[in-house]
Amino acid sequence: MEANQVAVFAVLIVFAIDAALLASLIILKGIHRQRSLHQRQRRAGYMTLLAHHLTYPESTEPIGRKTAADPAFLDAIIDLRNAVAGTEIDTLAGIIGRYGMIGAQARRLRSRFPLGRRLRAAVALAELGDESSADVLMEFLDDTEPEIRIQCARGLGRMKWTPAIDAIVDRFNVETPWVRSRFTHTLAGFGARATWPLIAYIRVNHRFESAGPAAAIRSLGVIGDTQAGPSLIQILEEATDPEIEIAAIEVLGVVGGPLALQTLIETFESDDWRMRAKAATAIGEIGDPVAVSVLATGLEDNDWWVRRNSAAALARLPGGKWALYDALTSKDPFAQDAAAEALADSGELIAARHRDQTGTATARDLALLAHMTPEHDMAKT
Amino acid sequence: MSLEIIKWVGYGTIAYFAVMQAYLTLLAVMSGSVLRRNHHTSRFGRVQEMLSSDTSPPVSIIIPAYNEAMGIVDSVRSMSIVGYPRFEMVVINDGSTDDTLDRLIGAFEMERVQIPYRPDLETAPIRGIYRGRGTVDITVIDKQNGGRADALNAGINVARYPYALCTDADVILDAGCLVNAMQRVVEDREHTIAVGGNIRPLNGSKVELGHLVEASVPRRLVPRMQVLEYVRTFLASRPAWARMGALPLISGAFGIWKRSAVLAVGGFTNGHMGEDMDLTMRMHRYHIDNDIPYRMVYEPGAVIWTEVPETIRVLRRQRIRWHRGLMTAVKDFMPMTFNPRYGKLGMVTWAGMFLFEYVAPIVEFAGWFFVPLAWAFGALNTTAMVMLLAIAFGMGLMNSLVALMLDESYGYFNSAADTSRLVTMAMIENFGFRQITVVWRIRALFGGRKVKRWGNMERRGVTNLAGRP
Repeated sequence: MEANQVAVFAVLIVFAIDAALLASLIILKGIHRQRSLHQRQRRAGYMTLLAHHLTYPESTEPIGRKTAADPAFLDAIIDLRNAVAGTEIDTLAGIIGRYGMIGAQARRLRSRFPLGRRLRAAVALAELGDESSADVLMEFLDDTEPEIRIQCARGLGRMKWTPAIDAIVDRFNVETPWVRSRFTHTLAGFGARATWPLIAYIRVNHRFESAGPAAAIRSLGVIGDTQAGPSLIQILEEATDPEIEIAAIEVLGVVGGPLALQTLIETFESDDWRMRAKAATAIGEIGDPVAVSVLATGLEDNDWWVRRNSAAALARLPGGKWALYDALTSKDPFAQDAAAEALADSGELIAARHRDQTGTATARDLALLAHMTPEHDMAKT
Repeated sequence: MSLEIIKWVGYGTIAYFAVMQAYLTLLAVMSGSVLRRNHHTSRFGRVQEMLSSDTSPPVSIIIPAYNEAMGIVDSVRSMSIVGYPRFEMVVINDGSTDDTLDRLIGAFEMERVQIPYRPDLETAPIRGIYRGRGTVDITVIDKQNGGRADALNAGINVARYPYALCTDADVILDAGCLVNAMQRVVEDREHTIAVGGNIRPLNGSKVELGHLVEASVPRRLVPRMQVLEYVRTFLASRPAWARMGALPLISGAFGIWKRSAVLAVGGFTNGHMGEDMDLTMRMHRYHIDNDIPYRMVYEPGAVIWTEVPETIRVLRRQRIRWHRGLMTAVKDFMPMTFNPRYGKLGMVTWAGMFLFEYVAPIVEFAGWFFVPLAWAFGALNTTAMVMLLAIAFGMGLMNSLVALMLDESYGYFNSAADTSRLVTMAMIENFGFRQITVVWRIRALFGGRKVKRWGNMERRGVTNLAGRP
């Protein structure tokens, strides 16, 4: 074949591909438009049909197998499932069961369909939250596709399927950070039921793992169950991994209560500024005025974050604001800055201005106002 | 002998474009597989879960502003309601000569505060820091003029949160933009140091109160050509680069940066015309040279809308500025080009940048002379020349069509008229537009090195675009 013939052949191939792409683009556009239009229309029709069934549970108006197999019908069911309550949920569950919708989605999940369709099935099962799908969702908690694992856990969380807690927690060590973060969110949905499985997991693993136990500790923070306090105190005292220590400090602020105060005060004297900064915030969250004098020392810390967090924590504690006002006259300009900012953030600056304008300003107000004048030297650090 | 040289230069030029288009088409196909997977995984559940999660990492939104009085308040308001659990806004007034600062102070109940300013990155002197006392968590830094990079560095200094979204004052963030981008951070918080977003031209779309109501393709040719360019760049190249772990650029209009990583490399380079590309490449170099595991990712679902030049005059200025930025970056990072130590970044993407961005205008410009010359002297076979040109054109068209198909999955342009305008554009851009951009890039090559601190761009403000063609 001559060179010219090769070139002509190549041109023909390139333009044939171009023509095919153009045709595909036109067809794709048409399909998208039609599909979205029809789907919207069908979905609206199904919503009306389902609303009728919810209003008249004994209705004999047929739904039909073909309708039940329509993705738009599934979308309508999911929308309603998230909007109704009480006996209406039972009516919907009856429709879901009667037409084998769970079984159909489970088959899709088990099939070799492309990822999109399997994922859609997992989402549908998670959204429907029907307990008959719990076994399937448990089975796919170790699917090779992370997004499917996430959806399965989410579904189990939605139906508060307690046996799933251990299965989800056990996967913390092997999951990617993204999946772990989603699992954390799911576990929080179980509420206090997940507290002890999480604590058991942390106790066993915190000496050997970092990311998993830290995620589990944060789950406890989101759950907010104070029963976790004593165990977390112990974990904080034993831990050597900074990530676990930081997570434990953060969460003790939420669930630790007064029992955690002493441990947090000791942590506040750590050499690591991150621990001191986190401990300051946690102490502030516990809210015990006993800690005012301890936090006041944090205003003169070498690290900006520790000063900032100590000041913010003081602003929350009963009597803490007086310590902040005292710091305005401190010899340490960094302590002054941290205190003034925290006072301004807590509304004291606006109040001081108001009192200044009405002639009732106190010496403390004037000290704060003096500190906040624009002429004050700003870039000290 | 000289005829022989002219002949082979002519053939070489044409072959060069065929290879370039083949490279771009390969990238487009690879991007297609990335986007397909991304499309499946991102449309189910993720956004709502992130929005309601207490574990989502907080973000500082950094907005440098220079003489943006016309649209700054609407921009900030529009960004302040971007769906995300926890974020702060830091606006830097970079020595504006209009009333940008006064408008911000008035709109957001701002008052001057004395927060300790840590100059981790060196910047022009700070004149004052203001904090909003209203419902929006906003801090404004008023500083002397120092340029965009300098303003961003000041914002990084003040940012409280571990991740900083560096953006512009004239962009509109799509509703799920931040949450979509941050999910990539949550995927691997330890190693993710930057996330890039998908930038789309706003011209021609309907905007109300700082929010995009309906996207459509502009009727004017200049912005329409840019719509096609942006679709090609952000959907047919970047996903593939990101997949290879070798993204050479996180665009300045939307980039989420890990604050500690930015500080480690010394922040944005002041006075650099392509400060975004410079920072991206320095971060690659720093992490590879020090054997620190990292990842820079691209999230096509993080969509932001920005106004692009409407006239040839403004477009010319912008393209010259961009190409000078690219030239500086290519020279600065020349040791990384074709350097296997930098893996796919050195061997594929940065090499591609050098071959098909930096060198392309020179080759194309040379081709304009050598190809007709060789043909006129009978050194080029007419049929072969026409066929090779046709292949180059056909592959260029293929690249654009693949990009438009990928764009279909996002469904921003719903009407058939929009699609037909873009397809027409893909066909005609090779006849005129392409050549004029080559002239601009050649101009950038031989022009001065004068650095303009802020690129001039005639804007109408994000609230004033409604109903425009």
